[in-house]
Amino acid sequence: MTKKYDTPLLDELEKGPFPSFVTEIKKAAAKNPMAADELGQLEKSMRDKVTYWKHGGIVGVRGYGGGVIGRYSQLADEFPGVAHFHTVRVNQPAGLFYTSETIRFICDLWDKYGSGLTNFHGSTGDMVLLGTVTDNLEPLATILSLNGFDLGGSGSAMRTPSCCVGPARCEWSMIDTLDITYDLTQEFQDELHRPQFPYKFKIKTVGCPVDCNASIARADLSIIGTWKGPIEIDQDRVRDYAKKGVNIQEEIVNFCPGKCITWDGNNLAINNSDCLHCMHCITKLAGALKPTPPFGAVILIGAKAPFVIGATLSWVIVPFMELKPPYQELKDMIRNMWDWWNEYGKNRERIGELIIRRGMREFLEVCGLEPTPEMVKEPRNDPFWFWKEEDLEKKPWEEFLK
Amino acid sequence: MDKEELKKAIYQLIEQSAGKKKYKQADVIKHFRQQGIPDAETKAAIRELIDAGDLIYTYFGGSYIELGEKRKGA
Repeated sequence: MTKKYDTPLLDELEKGPFPSFVTEIKKAAAKNPMAADELGQLEKSMRDKVTYWKHGGIVGVRGYGGGVIGRYSQLADEFPGVAHFHTVRVNQPAGLFYTSETIRFICDLWDKYGSGLTNFHGSTGDMVLLGTVTDNLEPLATILSLNGFDLGGSGSAMRTPSCCVGPARCEWSMIDTLDITYDLTQEFQDELHRPQFPYKFKIKTVGCPVDCNASIARADLSIIGTWKGPIEIDQDRVRDYAKKGVNIQEEIVNFCPGKCITWDGNNLAINNSDCLHCMHCITKLAGALKPTPPFGAVILIGAKAPFVIGATLSWVIVPFMELKPPYQELKDMIRNMWDWWNEYGKNRERIGELIIRRGMREFLEVCGLEPTPEMVKEPRNDPFWFWKEEDLEKKPWEEFLK
Repeated sequence: MDKEELKKAIYQLIEQSAGKKKYKQADVIKHFRQQGIPDAETKAAIRELIDAGDLIYTYFGGSYIELGEKRKGA
């Protein structure tokens, strides 16, 4: 196919040292008229400083309320190839592992039914296939389904759960993130495909507090692997690190948020009861320090990107939950949260915003959770838990003073 | 109310509000809860209406339930 449009503004974006999405769209445009018109409309958008896409609407696969995001061009006459340019989200395998054969299958399918443009992976975690027409959606979903794939989540639904590579490739992982993600995906099929919430709900699972998937910032429900035993110390290896130039006092002791590490120049000591399980020391002194069982997860709630009240990170609601199949305790807790959110949430209100509006106390009561010291918002600074009068009569703090 | 009656009532609710108010699934469930219909029954009835194409999910900043294309004659 010959070049359809001049794109001087987009050409500028190809001049940097990094791979450019413009180059990739141009490659696709050489054989696909949808991609060619996408290039033309994008150039016009940049020139006019106006987006010409309409978002949402009535588009989908029978029985599904999520997985397809409607995109219609406002310039369908000028760029007919992108009159429809719907995005299809495909549920990704846990940990994002593929064989090359699988990737070829997806790409061939998208060359046939779509623009050939993809976004591996979208910020929601799914494989994102960019640009197809309404008539192609049903056959596409059928072929995907017959080959073991399913559509992902979109709209006011549970979004496709995602996770880090976990025990498959990481020595730190303390929970089986892959199994948890797969299990939750299977368990909550209805909530994934049939939007029934006030707004989106994201679950992200990571194997350890390093949180490579940034679940604490990106998920309404974060499941973060953690440990309960003491941190095992190999003093010889700590001394090796010191000999090789690691400043233990500066880089380990002073950075400890729990202020629970001491170093006398020869031995490292950790007061495990004050440890906040951030894992900074363990990752900086890899091999010298090691978390010990029992392993489980800390459950957090409420992260979201800026929208109504600005960005929020998750709060701890369960400091330690033993996560073993079939994860019934976790599933029951999630369902309780959803019931409360469905009952009181306003349209487009995330669960974290509802907690702020109605209070953490009510949320914990609904979930059947007891308040614990780990829920303190800023450790050693600012507790956000407020006791009721009847709580004060019970003197609950005495339990923590024993 | 048996399931077929409930399905008809849900459909009528969506039909009568078309163009005036958009219903989310939770709104429909709450509406029929006030009439003493258990949430699970309403949810199951909505599911059948969606699967049959009588109703569909739509998205405009959030997900809603609206009339299906086949009943609109599109």
